[in-house]
Amino acid sequence: MASTAQELHPAPTLEPGRTILELKGLEKRYPGTHALKPVNLAFKAGEIHAIVGENGAGKSTLIKLLTGVMPRTSGDVAWEGQPAALATPHEAMALGINAVHQEVVLCRHLTVAANMFLGEEDSRFGILQQRAMVRQAQKIIDDLGFDLPAHVVLGDLTIGQQQLIAAARATVRGTKFLIFDEPTAYLTRKEADQLFTLIRRLKGEGVTIIYISHRMEEVFELADRVSVLRDGTLVGTRNISETNDAELVKMMINRSIEQVYHKEHFTPGAAIVEARNLSGKGFENVSMSVRAGEIVGLYGLIGAGRSEFVTTLYGRHRKSAGQILWEGKPVQVNSEHDAIRLGMALAPESRRDQGLCLNLPVGFNLNLPIYKRISSNLLISNAQEKTEADRQIADLRIKTPTRNALASSLSGGNQQKIVIGKWLAHGAKLFIFDEPTVGVDVGTKAEIYRLFGALLSKGAGIILISSYLPEVYELADTLHVFRRGKLVATHGFRTADHEEILTQALAEKQEKLGGQT
Amino acid sequence: MSTEAIPAEKPKRNYNALFGLTLLALLVLLWIILSVATPSFASANNISNLLRQGSMIAILAVGQTFVIITGGIDLSVGAVVGFATVIVAMLINAGVPVFIAILITLLVGVAIGMFHGFGIVRMGLPPFIITLATLTSLRGIGLLMTNGNSISINNDAFQLFSRSSFLGVPNLFWMVILVGIPAYIFLHHSRWGRYLFSVGSNAEASRLSGVNVQRTIYMAYTLSGLCAAFVGVLLASRIGIGNPTQAEGWELQAIASSVIGGTSLFGAVGSVHGPLLGAFILATINNGANLLNVNAFWQRIITGVLIIVIVYFDGLRRRGK
Repeated sequence: MASTAQELHPAPTLEPGRTILELKGLEKRYPGTHALKPVNLAFKAGEIHAIVGENGAGKSTLIKLLTGVMPRTSGDVAWEGQPAALATPHEAMALGINAVHQEVVLCRHLTVAANMFLGEEDSRFGILQQRAMVRQAQKIIDDLGFDLPAHVVLGDLTIGQQQLIAAARATVRGTKFLIFDEPTAYLTRKEADQLFTLIRRLKGEGVTIIYISHRMEEVFELADRVSVLRDGTLVGTRNISETNDAELVKMMINRSIEQVYHKEHFTPGAAIVEARNLSGKGFENVSMSVRAGEIVGLYGLIGAGRSEFVTTLYGRHRKSAGQILWEGKPVQVNSEHDAIRLGMALAPESRRDQGLCLNLPVGFNLNLPIYKRISSNLLISNAQEKTEADRQIADLRIKTPTRNALASSLSGGNQQKIVIGKWLAHGAKLFIFDEPTVGVDVGTKAEIYRLFGALLSKGAGIILISSYLPEVYELADTLHVFRRGKLVATHGFRTADHEEILTQALAEKQEKLGGQT
Repeated sequence: MSTEAIPAEKPKRNYNALFGLTLLALLVLLWIILSVATPSFASANNISNLLRQGSMIAILAVGQTFVIITGGIDLSVGAVVGFATVIVAMLINAGVPVFIAILITLLVGVAIGMFHGFGIVRMGLPPFIITLATLTSLRGIGLLMTNGNSISINNDAFQLFSRSSFLGVPNLFWMVILVGIPAYIFLHHSRWGRYLFSVGSNAEASRLSGVNVQRTIYMAYTLSGLCAAFVGVLLASRIGIGNPTQAEGWELQAIASSVIGGTSLFGAVGSVHGPLLGAFILATINNGANLLNVNAFWQRIITGVLIIVIVYFDGLRRRGK
C-alpha cells in the first residue's frame, strides 16, 4: 500500500511550492511560563510537515495558536501572504485550518453521519435530510477506503475507528491545512495504515499536513520535513531525507541537564513497599520494590501501564493477581484511604481532573489530606490551618497573593507545587509522582526536583513516573521500563543510554513496522 | 439592584461575607421601603408573622445548601415535610409522648436521606432522579397511610409551641437559630464541612487525598432529610394537622433561597447565612406583596425575576475577578 501511494506522489522532494502559512516570531506566554518562544517557520502547500518534541516542548501550544483556540502573545501569522489574526477557532476553520486531535472531540451519542455534518447539516425547509446525509457520509467513507458504516452511533465504534471518522470529517470541510496531533496513539496498525493512506491522498490534493507524533518511525514513513521543538524553542527544521533518528532524538533531548537535575544520592534503606507479580487492569505481572531513600523511575509511552500500576498500588483500582507488601508485611490496599493510612501519597497525572479543587483556596487544597490532624474532634483549629498553609506556601515558594486565593488563579507550576505540597505535611513514607513536571517550566522543575531530595533525606521513597526520558534518567536510582503493560527492562542510575531505553520502550512497534514495510 | 454596587476588587476571598452583607442590606432596604409604603408592615404582629413564614423555608434551605455544595440537588424536601407531618401526627394521636414522636419523625427524615445517599453512591443514580422519585412516591405513601384524609392533631401543647414566642421572638424563629448555629459551625469550622466543599469541587482529587467521598455524600443528604423532617414537625405544630400534600413546591423555594444566598448549583460555593437571608428575602417579598395587595399570581413572577437578577449579578461579580 505504501509503495503505490508513494508512486502517485513521488518522493519527499522539496518542490519549492508556495508558502501557505508563515509564522513570524509567533510567541505564547502564560503567567509564569514561556510556553512558546518566538517561532519562525514557513509551511509549504502540499507538504507533510512533522513536528516532534518531548512533552511540554510546546507542540500543543503551537497547535492551539494555529487553530485559534488560544490567542498568541505576540508575533505575526501570514496565511497565503495575508496577515491572519487566528483569534477564534471559527476564523481558523474559515481559512481552511482544521485539526484532528489525539482524543476524539466529537459527539459520541450522535451517528457517524451526524458527526460528519455537524454544524453544516443538510436541511430542506428546516427538516434535516437525514437519509441524504447518511448516503453522502457513506460515500465519503467508502471513497477513503474505510470499512465503516455511516448510520451507526459514533460511540459504538472503537477509539481508532472514531479517530478515522474525525479525520474523514476534517477532509470534507474545504480543508487546506490539517493538523494531526498524535493521531495513531490509539490506533491499531491496520487503522494507522488506513490513516496514512488518507494523509498521503490529502497531500496529493494539495492539502498541507502537520503531523505531530512521538513515533519516529511514523515521521520517517510520512513526512517531507520535520521540525523539532524543545522547551518552547524551535530547535531546527530538517528535510526528512537529510536527517536520521539519532539526530532528531539528540535535538529533542539535548540540554544542559546539570542545571535542572539536582540529584542527591542516599544509601537506600529497607524496602518500604514491594509489589510481587502484581497484575491488574492495563498491566500484568509486575514485580518491584521501593526502598527508603531511593527514587524508582517508571518510564514508558502513555498507555504502557505505568499509571495503571501505581493507581492499583494506591488502591484506586482492584488488583487481579499478586501481592503488595508494606514494610515487609503483606497488606490489602482496597481503597485510597487504606493507602494513605499506610503512608502512601499520590500526586496524580492530571492536576486539573485529579489533583486540585480548582475553585477552592490554595490553603484549603494544601490542608485537604491533613484536616483530620489539624482538627480536634470535629472542629478545625483555625490557627493551625493558617500556620500549616502558610508554612507550605513559604517552604515551597508557591507564588500566590495569599493562602485564600483560589487555586485556579495560579500558574501551572505553582498549582503543581500545591499538588505535591499537600502531601509534605501529611508525613507519608512513599511518594508517587505521576508526570509531576508536565506543563511546568524549567525553573519550577528544578524546584520540584530539589523537593525530591528533601523527601529522600527524611527517609522517604519515591516512585517517579514520566514520559520524559531525561527526567527519569537523571533522577531515578532504579529505572523500570514499561511497554504494553509489562515491565520489560530495569536499569540502575545512568547504566543505560537514552537510545537503549527508548528502544526498549518502543521496541514492539518497531518490530511490527519492520515486519510490514 | 444594590448587589451591583459591591466592589469586585482586591479582597478576593472575603466576598462570601461581603455578599452576605449585601443580601442583608437588600433585606433591610426591603423592610424600610415596606415600612414606609404600608402602615401595617412594621407592626409587631406582622413582623412575627413574617419571621414565622420565613423560618421553615430557611431551615429547609440550610439542608438543601449542604447538598448543593457537594454538587447535588435534593428535590424531595417538600415531600419529606408533608410526609413528616403525617408521621408526627399519627404518632402523637396514637398516644406516643411528643418528645418520642418528634425523635422518631426526625429518624424517618434521616432514613430518607440515607436512602438518597444509597441511591447515589451505590446505585449510581443522579441526585436529581433519586430525589425526584422520592418526591412523588413519599406523597403517595403518605396518602396511602391517611387514605387521603388530613389528620387533626389532638395535642394542644404541641400546637401551642409554634404559636408562642420567647423573649418576644416567635419560637419558630428560635428554631432557625437552633439549626443555623450548629450548621454554621459544621459547614465552616469542621472538617466534614470542608469535605463537602472539596467533594463538590473535585470528587476525584478529594478521593485521592483520602477524603471518604461516599460518606460525605451520605452525610449531605442525611442532613437535608433531617432538616426537612424537622420542618415537618414545625409545620404540623403550626397548622395542627398531618397531611402528606402539604408543603407543595417548598423544595423549589428552598433551592431558590439557597441560590439567592450565593450557593452555586455547580457545587463548592455556599454558606449557611446566605440561604437564611435568601429565605427571609423571599418571605418579605411575599409578605409585602400581600400587604400591598399585589395579585398573588404576580408574586410568583416577581420571585422568578428576582432569582434571575440576583444570580446574574452574583455571576457577573464572580467572573469579574
